[in-house]
Amino acid sequence: MKPRPISLLWSCAAAILFSSFDAVQAQTPGGTDPDKPVRTIDIEEISVSTRRKLSEIGVTKTVLDTVALQQNIVHSLAEVLAQNTPIFIKSYGRGAVATASFRGTSPSHTQVLWNGMKLNSPMLGMVDFSLIPSFFIDDANILHGAGSVDVAGGGLGGAITLGTHPTDKEGFDLTFVQGISSFDTYDDYLRLTYGGRKVQLSTRFSYGKSDNDFKYTNYNKFNDDMKTHPVERNKNCSFRDLHVMQEAYWTLDDRNKLNAAVWYMDSNRGIPSLNVNYQEDDRSNNRQDESTLRAVAGWDRLGDRLQLGARAGYTYSNLVYHSQGTVNGVEDDRPGAIAVEQVHSQSIVHTGFLNLSARYFPHKKLVLSASFSTNLHAVDSRDKYIYALEKKNYDTMRLETSVLVSAKYRPHPRIGLGVDLREESYGGTMAPLIPAGFVDVVLWPRYDVVLKGSVARNYRHPTMNDLYFQPGGNDTLRPEKGYTYEGGLEFALRRKGFSFEGEGAVYNSRIHDWILWLPTFKGYWSPINVRKVHSYGAELKGKMDIALGRGWALFFDASWACTRSINQGDPMSENDQAIGKQLVYVPEYSSTITGRLSWRGYSLTYKYNHYSERYTTSSNDPSTLYHLGAYYMSDLYLEKSLRTKLADLSLKFCIYNLFDEEYESVLARPMPQQNYGFFIGIRPNFGKRK
Amino acid sequence: MKNRFAILPLLLLAVFLPTACMDYGENETERIAIDDAPGLFIINEGNFMYGTGSLSYYDIRSKQVENNVFLRTNGVKLGDVAQSMTIHKGLGYIVVNNSSVIFVIDIRTFELVKILKGFISPRYVHFVNDEKAYVTDLYTFAITVFNPQTLEITNRIKTDIKGKTAPSTEQMVQYKNYVFTNCWSYDNKILVIDTDTDTAVDYIEVGKQPTSLVLDKNNKLWTITDGGYSGSPYGQEAPGLYKVDAETRSVEQVFRFETGDRGSEICMNEARDSIFFIRSRKEIDNGREVSRDHIWKMSVEDKTLPAEPFLTNTSTNHWYGLAVDPHTSEVYVADAIDYVQPGFIYRYSSEGERIDKFQVGVIPGAFCFNY
Repeated sequence: MKPRPISLLWSCAAAILFSSFDAVQAQTPGGTDPDKPVRTIDIEEISVSTRRKLSEIGVTKTVLDTVALQQNIVHSLAEVLAQNTPIFIKSYGRGAVATASFRGTSPSHTQVLWNGMKLNSPMLGMVDFSLIPSFFIDDANILHGAGSVDVAGGGLGGAITLGTHPTDKEGFDLTFVQGISSFDTYDDYLRLTYGGRKVQLSTRFSYGKSDNDFKYTNYNKFNDDMKTHPVERNKNCSFRDLHVMQEAYWTLDDRNKLNAAVWYMDSNRGIPSLNVNYQEDDRSNNRQDESTLRAVAGWDRLGDRLQLGARAGYTYSNLVYHSQGTVNGVEDDRPGAIAVEQVHSQSIVHTGFLNLSARYFPHKKLVLSASFSTNLHAVDSRDKYIYALEKKNYDTMRLETSVLVSAKYRPHPRIGLGVDLREESYGGTMAPLIPAGFVDVVLWPRYDVVLKGSVARNYRHPTMNDLYFQPGGNDTLRPEKGYTYEGGLEFALRRKGFSFEGEGAVYNSRIHDWILWLPTFKGYWSPINVRKVHSYGAELKGKMDIALGRGWALFFDASWACTRSINQGDPMSENDQAIGKQLVYVPEYSSTITGRLSWRGYSLTYKYNHYSERYTTSSNDPSTLYHLGAYYMSDLYLEKSLRTKLADLSLKFCIYNLFDEEYESVLARPMPQQNYGFFIGIRPNFGKRK
Repeated sequence: MKNRFAILPLLLLAVFLPTACMDYGENETERIAIDDAPGLFIINEGNFMYGTGSLSYYDIRSKQVENNVFLRTNGVKLGDVAQSMTIHKGLGYIVVNNSSVIFVIDIRTFELVKILKGFISPRYVHFVNDEKAYVTDLYTFAITVFNPQTLEITNRIKTDIKGKTAPSTEQMVQYKNYVFTNCWSYDNKILVIDTDTDTAVDYIEVGKQPTSLVLDKNNKLWTITDGGYSGSPYGQEAPGLYKVDAETRSVEQVFRFETGDRGSEICMNEARDSIFFIRSRKEIDNGREVSRDHIWKMSVEDKTLPAEPFLTNTSTNHWYGLAVDPHTSEVYVADAIDYVQPGFIYRYSSEGERIDKFQVGVIPGAFCFNY
C-alpha cells in the first residue's frame, strides 16, 4: 500500500480552537423557565434554541435541526449522524445497512424512538439508519449516555429521539425535490402541508432508486494476466426505497391536542457482493425486501401545572432475505442452467405500543414526571433452505414494559438537580432498577458556562433472537448491565452578527455481561454473557454563526470524539489476545466538520468526516488483511435559491467524495469514488404575497 | 469581510482540506522462500462476509510459521471462507467457499497459477486421476468436474437421486473406481459416484449430518455425524461414528455418542489403522455442566469407543480443526479462540505430547500436508 501523510492531530485542532476561543459578548442571563415547550426560531438557515429545559438538567444532548436533517434528499439518518455527530456509523454504502456505535458500544446499545415509539428491532435490538430518510424527520435529539434514561432503558451508549411536528406555515404548501445522481440514481421528495387554525396536515413521499453499479478498481483480484487488476462494477447493489408518511394534528382547544402519524416503507435492496467474490453469473444475488408500517396516535394536554399525554401505536414489519446462486451448465452451455435459491429467510413482526405520561409542575423550579410504556411484540421468524426444509427460528410473543418516575429541581437559578428511576420488564422477567442522577451548575451566566454531570446504572435486556432463535437462542441470558458517569462543560457566546456555542464532555462506562454470539460445540452460534467492556472517552462539539456583512454569512459546525472501548473480560484461553484491546470496528477518533458560506441565495457547503483506523479482529491485529485504515471523506455542495412570483426554486449541485478517494469503509465492500448529484427544488407560492 | 471572527473557520477548513487522503490501493508483494522440507498448510477460514480467509505455512522441521502467505506473495486476498486445500502434482488447489473460487498455486513459491471459477459454494477437491478432478458443493446439487491439465470445467454430476432430497456434498474418498462423498447439510447419506461414467449411482444411509469421511486400511469407510440439533426441522438424534464397508456399501457398526454431543473432523494416522476425531463430552466443572471438546483415538479394529480421550482439552474453548501427519502420525489441533482473532495450532507427538504451538490466521479450519 502507498501510505500518505495523515495526522490525527488535525482532528484535535477543532477541539483546541473551541477551548481557546475567547469572545467578549454576553447573553442576558435568562430565568429558570419551567419545562414548557421551547420555541425554536429559524433565521434563514440558522436555528437558535432558547435555554435549557428543566428536563434537560445535566444531560449531554446534541440537537440536529432541520438544516442538518434536510440538507440533501439522498441522505438517510445514517449520513446525517455520520456528518454531524461523533457517533460512528458502520455503513456498507448507500442503499445498504448502516448501524451506529455510540460511545464505543454496539448498535443495540443505542435506543431510537420515533414520536415516542421505539424503532429498535425486537429481534436484533438495533436500528438500520439507512432506512430512515432524513427528510421525514423534523427534529432529532441525541442523548449521550445517562441522558438516555429519560426516554428509554437499555441505551448503554445513548438514545436518539426522532420527531415530526406540525407545519408552521398557514394554508397549503408544497415542496418538491427531484434529484439525479451518478450511477442511475433518481430521488424524488414531495411534501404537501396544510396549516389551519385547528388542523395541520402533512403528506410526505420519498422515492429513491439506483443501479448503484459504480466502477472501481478491484485490488483484491487479478485479470487473466495475473498482473493487472480488473475494473469492476459494484455487483448486486441496486436498490429501490419508497416511503410515505401522513401526519395530522388537531388542536381541540387551548390545552388539548391530538396528533397522528403513519409511515409506510417499502424497500427492495441488493446486498452487494464482496470484492473477493468470483461468482460469474449476474443472476447470483442476495436481496433483502422489507415492508414496514408504523402508526402512532397521541393526545396531549398542556396545562399550566399538569401536562398529560397518551400515545398508542402499531408496527408491522415483513423482512425477507433471499440468496440465489446459478452456475452455467456444461453440456448445453446455457448460462445459469443450474440455479438454486440457497436461503429464503422471512421475519414478520407485529408490535403494539402504548405510552402514558404525566408531568406536574408544583413550582416553576420543580417538575415531577412519570411515564408508562409497553410494547407487545409478536415475531414469526423462519428460514427455508434449498433442501425444501422449512426451519422455524421462533414464533413468539413478548411483552416489554417500562415505567419511569423522574424529578428535576432547580433550587437556585444556577443549580439544577435531577433524578430518574426506571423499571423495565421483558417477557415476565424484571430487570433491576435503572437509576440516573443529574446535576448542572451555571458557573458564568454571562457566557452561559454550565458545568454538568450525570451518573446512571443501566440495563439492556436480551433481544428476542438472543433468547429464542433456533438453533442457538439462550433463554438463560442475563441483561447487560452498564454503569456510566460523565461530566461536561458548555458555553455560548452571542453578539450581534456572531454566535458561538460549544460543549465538551468526558465519560466513563463499564458494561458487564455484554452479550456475545460465539460458536458452540455443535457448530452453530449461541449468545452468552461473556464480556466486560470499559468504555471511556471525550467528546467536543461546537457551532459558530457569523454574519460577515453585505449579505455574506458563515456557518461552522464541528465535533470530535475520542473513544476507548476496551475488552476487559476473562481470557477465553491461554492464547486469547483480545483482553485490553479496542472492540472490533470502533474507531478511537472521529470528527466531523461542516462549513457553509452563503451570500444572497447562494451557499457553498463543505462537509468533512473522519474516523481513525478500525480493527476487525478482537486482538487488534494490524496487518493489512484485518485492518481498515483511517477514513477521511469530504463532500461539497453548491446551492442557489431563487424566489419568483410563482414559486421558490432551489438548485443544488453536490460533489461526493470530493478528493476521489478509493476506499473501503467495511472490509471487502468497495465504495464509490467521486460522484455527483443535481437537485432541483420547487415550492409553489399558491398565491402568497411576496 | 468585516467580521474578524471569520478567519477562524476558514483557518480550520484550510487545515483539513489537504489532509483528506486514505491509505488504499495495491498491496505490496514479497517473495517468501521455502525449501524442500516437509511442511503444513493451514487454511484459515476468516470471518464470513469479511473476506479475511488466509493461508499459513508451517515448516515441520524448523517449526517456523509464515502467515498470510497468499496475500503477501500475490498481492490479492484469498477471499471469503477458505475451506480446504488439496495438493496434486506440485500445485495446491485452495477452495474458497463463499468467494466461489478455487485458486491454484505453486506450493513452493505460493504464487498464483490459475483461478478456477464457475462454482456456487465449493467445498473440497478430489483428484480421480491426472485428467479428472471432482469439486463438491454445498448448494449446487452437483459435483463439478474439471481437467487438472487444462484447468477447464468439463462436466457437472447431478447429485439428486430420484425420490430423495438433493444432497449437498462434502469430503471425498475413493475406493476402486467409486468416489464416496458425505452429504452433510440436512442429510444422512454417503453418495456413491461412478468415476467411469461420472454419475451418482448409489447412496448409503448413515446418521444425521455426517461431517467427514475417511477410508481405512481394510477399505472401511468411517464417517462421524453431528446428529443435528434441538429444534432442527431435520430432527435430532445421538451422533456417532459409522463404519461402512466400501465394497458392500453396508453399515457394519455404529458407535453412538450421547444425544447433544458433537463429533467431527475424523482423520487417519500413517498406517491407516487408527482414527482420530473431535468429540465433545459433558463434564462437571466447579459444579457447572460444561461441554469440552477432546481428541479421541481408536483402532479401526476396536469394537467399542475409547473410555478416555487421547488429548484432553482443559478449557471450554472449542477445538475447530484436526489433522494427523500421514508420515509421522503427529497430531495438529486448531484453536479458533473467540473466532475473531488469529487462532493457534497445537502440535502433538504421536504419543500425545505437545511439541509446539504457533499462531496462524482467523479461524484455522483445515490442513494440508506438503511432503
